[in-house]
Amino acid sequence: MRVPSSRFHVPRSGRAIIALLFISAALTVDARTQSSLAGEIDAAGLRQTLAQQKGRVVLLNFWATWCVPCREEFPELSKLQGKYGATGLQVIGVSTDFAKERAAVGKFLAEQRPSFPNYRKKSGGDDQAFIEAVDSSWGGELPFSVLYDRSGRKVRVFSGSLPVARVEKEVRKLLAAR
Amino acid sequence: MRLLRSALVLAGLCALACNAVAEAPAIGAMAPDFQLTTIDGKAFSLSSAAKDHKAVVLMFISTQCPYSNAYNGQMKDLANAFASKGVLFAGINSNKSEDAAAAVAHAKAHGHTFPIMKDPSNKVADMYDARRTPEVYVIDSQGKLRYHGRITENHEDPASSPDLKNALDSFLAGKPIARTETKAFGCTIKRV
Repeated sequence: MRVPSSRFHVPRSGRAIIALLFISAALTVDARTQSSLAGEIDAAGLRQTLAQQKGRVVLLNFWATWCVPCREEFPELSKLQGKYGATGLQVIGVSTDFAKERAAVGKFLAEQRPSFPNYRKKSGGDDQAFIEAVDSSWGGELPFSVLYDRSGRKVRVFSGSLPVARVEKEVRKLLAAR
Repeated sequence: MRLLRSALVLAGLCALACNAVAEAPAIGAMAPDFQLTTIDGKAFSLSSAAKDHKAVVLMFISTQCPYSNAYNGQMKDLANAFASKGVLFAGINSNKSEDAAAAVAHAKAHGHTFPIMKDPSNKVADMYDARRTPEVYVIDSQGKLRYHGRITENHEDPASSPDLKNALDSFLAGKPIARTETKAFGCTIKRV
């Protein structure tokens, strides 16, 4: 007796199209949301990641799951990335949560489904070296953000909650300057 | 005359504003003296404490900051280890968001027996230009600042380079402190 493989018969060409649609949808989701950590990052890794973004305006944001203002502004960062990503903005998040909080970080990202990559500050190493890689005025306080222009030049630092409207204005200005 | 009066008023306002947050004391300079009350009701004077000890370690701490809390064990261990060497550790909580009751409960929960003080209106934090928790200052018996900065190289790794301990060891041995200033990694002190 012949057992049907499916309740509905789909020709081979149709199956290929469906498979392509699935792959395309999966890639679109990946491009839009990055719901897990992109990796761990130290001072050298941060410098390298920033160097790779030359040509794009970068908004680097430091956060932690225990930081209430960080959690509050997180969706705004996704909105900025969604709005200006196509024209050259790259938001990059770095969690300063401890290694023992990795699960909490994963849960937070899975809930938030940010539209930008997020790293966790690597455990160990010299805190001072990491501070210097970010900005000498920083000392771990959160949230903390740094805005870079397309050439990789640091334009502004924001200690505390992001003034979103002001940041958006600055981002637009930097994106327009080619 | 009216102009002169306005100028004097403006100068007065500027002086008040300028005093609001003092510059951080330099290494080797006199550390600002202050008097506070410990969370168990005792008077604490920096100048008196310094005279009675080889050194005083002022630690700006928090009950809520994870970076500060990561050092609770080390604060206790260092305070105990250096007590017999004539060094007094003292905690200062300048966060407006953490009241005396929270400081008492926190000290009890973590077995902190060193003096801990609330710093109302963050006046002492302003005198020292302390920005973060934890952030430490080592003051010698003459009241001079000898070390300022972090407790260890990495806030997440207690085994990383122990900058504060190294500074105290060198100071007590009469040797120059190799690193007198480091950058503290921590939470912002929540000021009034």
